[in-house]
Amino acid sequence: MKMRLLGISSLTAALMATAVTVSAQEELHIYNWSDYIAEDTITNFEKVSGIKVTYDVYDSNEVLEAKLLAGRSGYDLAFPTARPFADRLIRAKLYQPYDKSKLSNYGNLDKVILKSLSDIDPGNQYLIPYMWGTTGLAYNVDKVKAILGDDMPLDSWQLVFNPEITKKLVACGVALMDDPIEVFVAARAYLGKPTDDFSKPAIQEAANVIAGVRDNIRYFHSSQTINDMANGDICVAHGYSGDMLQAQARAAEADNGVHVEYIVPSEGAVVWTDVAVIPVDAPNPAAAHKFINYLMQPEVIAPISNYVAYANANAKATPLVDAEVRNNPGIYPPAATQEKLVVLKTPSDKEARNMSRMWTRAKTGK
Amino acid sequence: MLKRYPLLFALLFLGYAFLYLPIFSLIIYSFNESRLVTVWGGFSTKWYGELINNGPLLDAAWLSIKIAALNASIAVVLGTLAALTLVRLRGIRGHKSLGVMVTAPLVMPEIIIGLSLLLLFVAMEDLIGWPAGRGQTTILLAHVTFSMAYVTVIVQSRLAHMDTSIEEAALDLGARPVKVFFAITLPMIAPALAAGWLLAFTLSMDDLVIASFVSGPGSTTLPMVVYSSVRLGVSPQINALATIIIAVVSTAVLIAGVTMYRKELKAQRKS
Repeated sequence: MKMRLLGISSLTAALMATAVTVSAQEELHIYNWSDYIAEDTITNFEKVSGIKVTYDVYDSNEVLEAKLLAGRSGYDLAFPTARPFADRLIRAKLYQPYDKSKLSNYGNLDKVILKSLSDIDPGNQYLIPYMWGTTGLAYNVDKVKAILGDDMPLDSWQLVFNPEITKKLVACGVALMDDPIEVFVAARAYLGKPTDDFSKPAIQEAANVIAGVRDNIRYFHSSQTINDMANGDICVAHGYSGDMLQAQARAAEADNGVHVEYIVPSEGAVVWTDVAVIPVDAPNPAAAHKFINYLMQPEVIAPISNYVAYANANAKATPLVDAEVRNNPGIYPPAATQEKLVVLKTPSDKEARNMSRMWTRAKTGK
Repeated sequence: MLKRYPLLFALLFLGYAFLYLPIFSLIIYSFNESRLVTVWGGFSTKWYGELINNGPLLDAAWLSIKIAALNASIAVVLGTLAALTLVRLRGIRGHKSLGVMVTAPLVMPEIIIGLSLLLLFVAMEDLIGWPAGRGQTTILLAHVTFSMAYVTVIVQSRLAHMDTSIEEAALDLGARPVKVFFAITLPMIAPALAAGWLLAFTLSMDDLVIASFVSGPGSTTLPMVVYSSVRLGVSPQINALATIIIAVVSTAVLIAGVTMYRKELKAQRKS
C-alpha cells in the first residue's frame, strides 16, 4: 500500500512539472470564441512574428466580463461584443487605448463601422472592430412560399409580427429570440418607430405587438433555432445572422430538402459588432498590437471571413473574400439595407428592468 | 423471474433505456456523415480523422484528464483524512462545525464557488504573489475544494459502518496505529476510496462553471471548448471524442470488474 501511495505522489509530481512550462520566448494570450478565427491564422502569425500565441476560449460574453472585472486576467487581447459588453467596460476603464502609431494597417478599416462605434468609444481609442453581423429572419423558402404565395414580400418583420400572417404559419412554426432588447427593437422597427426609444410607452407599444402574436409563436429561444431550422421543424426564426447562416449551411450539407434563406428585414434590423480590446492589465500589450496589426491586413482577415462566414470590418478585404460569402446578402447586406441597420443602444438600469418586466408579461400574457 | 414480475422487468428495462439510450445515440451519430446532429447522412469515420487534426480540442481533453486525475488523487487523500477526523475524533472541539464546513460545497451553487474562488485568487495574488496568474493550478485547487466534500461523505459513511473490533484486535496484538491504518483500515475502506476517486474524477471532468471562472491563459478545459463552439456550430468531432472516452472508460470499468470478481471467487474458494 505504501508503494502505491508513493506511486501516486510521484505521478502527481510528474504531472505538476509538466503543468509549469518555462519559456523565454515572447508570448501572447488571446481570449476569444472557439473557431472564431481561421484555422491557420495563429500558426501563420507565429511564423511571421516569432511570438508564441496561446488561444483560449470562453462560452459567453458574461464570463469574459467577469474575468476582466476581477482583474489580472492574464489575457492580452479579447473579443467582446461591442454593445452592451465593451461599452460597459470602457466606462469601467478596464481597457487600454490602442497606440495607433503601432497600427500601420489601421487605414484599412471600414470608416462607417468605426463611426458607428464612436458613440461608445469617442475617437475610436479602445475598440478595433473585428467581425460584424445582423439580427434578422431565417425562413424555410419552400414551405413559407407554399403557405403565403409567391407575391408576399419575405424581407419583412411581418413574417413574425403580423398576426394575420403568423396565424397562417402557426402549424409550420415561428420562433422568436428570448432576448427582450433584440425583440423589442425589432418590433419597433416593424412599427416604423424610432428604435432607440426605450421609454415606458415606447416599450409598451412593442410589447403590444408581441402580445398580439404570442399565440402564434411556437417558442422563444436564442439558439435552439439553428437545429430546428436546419431540420425543417420550424419555418421562420428570428436570430443572429451567423446562427441562421449556420442553419442554412447545415441544411445544405445534410441535403435534406430544406432550403433556408436569411434576410435582413427592409424595415431595419439590429447590427452588432465584435471588437478587439486590450485589457488595461494585459501582460504584453506590444504583442497584442502586433497581432491586431497583422489581422488588419486584407489578405489575413479575408480568409477568416471565409472560414467563420461573418463580414469583417476591413473595407480593403471585401474584394478578397470568397464570392460565395461576399455576395451573400445575409452576410454583406446591400447598401440600401445597410443604411437601415441600427445599433443597439445600451439601456440604463431602470430601462433594462422595465424591459424585462414587460418582456415576461408579453411572453406569458400576464 | 421474468415471468413472475413482468411489470418490474419492464420498468427495469425502461430505466436502463433512459440511462443508456442517449449515450448510444451519441456513439451512433459520431459515425454520421452529416454535420447535423439529428440527421443521419450515412456511415463515415471522417469526424475521427478531423478530431486527430484538431489540436486545440485534443489539448483541452488532455488537460481535463490531467486535472481530473490529479484532482481525484488529492481529493481522496484529503477527503479520507477529513472523514477519519469526523468519524473517529468525535470528542475534539469544533467537531460539528468541521462537519458542516467540509460538506458545505455540496450544497453551494457552483457559480458562487467559482466567483468567490476567483476573487480569492486575485486577492491572494495581490497580497502574497501566489498563485501568480490563474491557470491549471487554480483550476486544480478549485476542483479539489469541492471534490473533497464528495469523497468525505462517501468515505465517512463507509467508516461509520465499519466494525472497529478488528482494529482493536490488531492494536491488542501490538500493532502500531499507523500499521493498523495501512493494514486494516485502508483495505476495508478501499471500495469507498475507489468510488470517491471515480466520482471526483467525473466531477472535475465535466465542471464548466467553476473552471470558467478560475481558469487563466493557456488552461482551457474540454467543457469550455465544447460550450464555446456552440456559437459557430458544434461539430460531430465532439461526439467522436466522447465515444473514445466512453470506450476507454468502459474498458477500464470492465477490466476492474472482472479482476474484482475473480478475486472474490478466489477468496470464497479459500474459505
